[in-house]
Amino acid sequence: MIGISLKCKHLLVTATFVAVAIIFVSCNSTQPHSETVTVYVSEDQVFSEPILRDFEKKTGIRVKAIYDTEESKSTGAMNRLIAEKNNPQADVYWANEPIRAEVLKQKGISAPYLSANAKDIPLMFRDPEGYWTGFSARARVLIVNKDVKDVPRTIRAYTDPRWRGRSVIANPLFGTTTSEMAALFTIWGDVQAREFMHALKRNRVAISTSNGESADFVASGQYDFSLVDSDDAVNRMRQGKPVTMIYPDQGKDGLGCFIVPNAAVLIKQAPHPEAAKKLIDFLLSRETERKLAFADCAQIPLHLGVQTPPELKPLSKIKVMQVNYAQVARKMVEIQPFLKSWMGL
Amino acid sequence: MARRVFLTFIVLLFLVIGLLPVLSMLMKSVIVDGRFSLAPYRGLLTSARQWTLMGHSIALSVLVTGLTAVVGMPLGILLGKTDLPFRRFFTGLFVTPLLIPPYIIAVSWFDLLGREGLLAHMLGASVTSATAHFLFGLPGCVFVLFSIFLPIPMLLTIIFLRTVDPRLEEAGRLVSGWNGVIKGITIPLILPGVLLAAMLVFLLSFGEFSVPSLLRYDVFPVESFTQFSAFYNFRTATAATVPLAAVTLFLLFVEAKFLRERTYQLCPSPEFKHSPPIKLGAHSKWLFVSVAITGLVIVIVPMIVLVIQSAGVDTYIEALNRAGDSLLRSIIYAIIGAALLTFLGFFMGYLIQTKSFRCWRSVDSLTIFLFALPSTVIGIGLISLWNTPWTNFIYGTPVIIILGYLAKYTALTSRISVTQLSQISPSMEEAAQVAGARWFRRVAFITAPLARRGLLAGWLAGYIFALRDTGITMLVYPAGNDTLPIRIFTLMANGSQQLIAALCMVMVTTTLLPVGILWMVPGIMMKKVAR
Repeated sequence: MIGISLKCKHLLVTATFVAVAIIFVSCNSTQPHSETVTVYVSEDQVFSEPILRDFEKKTGIRVKAIYDTEESKSTGAMNRLIAEKNNPQADVYWANEPIRAEVLKQKGISAPYLSANAKDIPLMFRDPEGYWTGFSARARVLIVNKDVKDVPRTIRAYTDPRWRGRSVIANPLFGTTTSEMAALFTIWGDVQAREFMHALKRNRVAISTSNGESADFVASGQYDFSLVDSDDAVNRMRQGKPVTMIYPDQGKDGLGCFIVPNAAVLIKQAPHPEAAKKLIDFLLSRETERKLAFADCAQIPLHLGVQTPPELKPLSKIKVMQVNYAQVARKMVEIQPFLKSWMGL
Repeated sequence: MARRVFLTFIVLLFLVIGLLPVLSMLMKSVIVDGRFSLAPYRGLLTSARQWTLMGHSIALSVLVTGLTAVVGMPLGILLGKTDLPFRRFFTGLFVTPLLIPPYIIAVSWFDLLGREGLLAHMLGASVTSATAHFLFGLPGCVFVLFSIFLPIPMLLTIIFLRTVDPRLEEAGRLVSGWNGVIKGITIPLILPGVLLAAMLVFLLSFGEFSVPSLLRYDVFPVESFTQFSAFYNFRTATAATVPLAAVTLFLLFVEAKFLRERTYQLCPSPEFKHSPPIKLGAHSKWLFVSVAITGLVIVIVPMIVLVIQSAGVDTYIEALNRAGDSLLRSIIYAIIGAALLTFLGFFMGYLIQTKSFRCWRSVDSLTIFLFALPSTVIGIGLISLWNTPWTNFIYGTPVIIILGYLAKYTALTSRISVTQLSQISPSMEEAAQVAGARWFRRVAFITAPLARRGLLAGWLAGYIFALRDTGITMLVYPAGNDTLPIRIFTLMANGSQQLIAALCMVMVTTTLLPVGILWMVPGIMMKKVAR
């Protein structure tokens, strides 16, 4: 009797392990007849995940994704791609800005792909060889508290003594603020750009941890204005916060507004290249751009004629800062030591 | 012979799972283009920022350790030795924060005290400016980590109180009141346990990543993660982890030298059960109110905030839509991880308890070293070792996450096994040996069944810690295999506070449910047996 009971116990324990192992394997094995595509995503998960689910519904291709966390400042996914250069796991990288896509190209991690859906996208926002293609952009705008009477209309307001101690900017070591600083270095040259950065310090510009925090500071009246991404500004406006959004430097001789498109990148030696191309085509479609424009991230479509929500200006009505993203990427790497010392690190 | 071979296999397995990734990481950090180089370490030592970060880490850990010890030991004495009303309830209440991922408590305080928090809606922005100032930085981190780690000195005090022979205290009572006895006899006897708790709290605070990063207080583990994830500077990231490992090793050396012999085997005093609790008398009321208020502030308020923030069925439906798959994966990985941790921990514990090999102390120290080592170190080590085309079956699958659990948390299950096995008389196994039973049969049919309570407790500890893991999983999870804590972390970027709060509540329920069930089941079984 005891022997039978012990055998039963053994059987039960073994069966449990086998059952759990089967669940484990089935959870992770790719079904033989269904395609999969692996994408690393730097765009916020709340905005990117619905798009990827739509792709799954439309094509039947299963999407496996890794998303960035706030702590890695939207560069964790890219850095994982670099770590996996000799052993690629990803097929596609959805970058939330083109600069890092350029860095991947320069490091030989991406592969060229010219999507048919990219032909209407302005040349400025895509790599000529197809190593990355831009879509759905953010604009770098000034968010200004409504109590401010004479609103700033240029980024040079940061150095105007009138706003001494009244402005804030996100840490220039991370994210789109780094990209914009690098863009200014390419346009103004090193001397003028460094002088601008030093002038920020002299004018007691506060440093926040992120664009979102900067926007909150302005919304609460702690500071008068800040340079942030358009989605941060639109988000606060939709929440009914007392802020307005200014596209900076729109005058005749103005510098223009720095535009930060998302970028779709095909990974070299991607395990699933065909599915990867289908996903890139989907991301670059007008329909995806329309969805991202009306989502909370409020991104500006790069295709002409795509409908936008009332808070957003279409690209055709914005004076765009004319930059070469490849040069900006190189400059970004070059100015890192300066930015670190500027931050006192 | 079978015993020796099998235990050798277990030790080798643990070396591959736990030690090899850390060694591989260290090797890669000092070999540049095929040559030995200490450049990243030199850069680290000459950078003022690194020293500042080290100062932050030490300040945070010292404050949390001091505060938890000062509050936790008296609290443990109150709950473990007096007739305070509802002391069992309070014990369970205070343990709760330790069972759930630390950042959930931080999220809850953020929802209450942040600029957009509940307090801002009730009292206006001027008040919350001050509260947000408190929360973001050292005071906020200390407070949140204090509430999470308070149960460690509290529980160890309760456990060590059971090892004190009541006859010593009774002798003391002949010449002194309870205050004098507690100060002069009880506290000196339980001091090794309190010091062990303080060391554990120090190490856990020192390696904590999620709370300081959420509350924007720069500490060493955050720097290491950022160097790896935001700059992909693998060598600097590794170099940044070395001071963490050095401090961990130093403290473990101190523990091995002064505390190990007095703490690794706990023998409850047989007289303890028969000794009556200290009667608090007139002090009972104010002590009860004090304990209740402490529990309310550090445990109930954060939970209520999450409940309020997540109120609404729609929020929970959206949460499950968004993260249902991650929840399922979390549970499956935690169940598998807990089973393997129990298995590995049992045999490691057996090896340590029976001193099967001369190196049993080293094996014990290695498990504790890996437990105390910050998760980012283990995560980076795992990537360093397994990210190759030949080992994709590990790196590209959830096996890498399970290996992370085994490397990090085996100390828990092996220590539980040691405690349980120390209470089983060796004569049981010896009798079976005399009867001709081989070692595997003796372990399977004598030792393991007798240690079943320890195995169950080990499984539960493994399940909870695997479920709440953030640091390792975040670095190594393969695409499409994120767990719920990771999903919550990634959704925090621009996700709604309601959604995050609902996901945190789902996480809390998933963690506490099996604890509750397993707590209740033995009671029900006992009642049935009694009938």
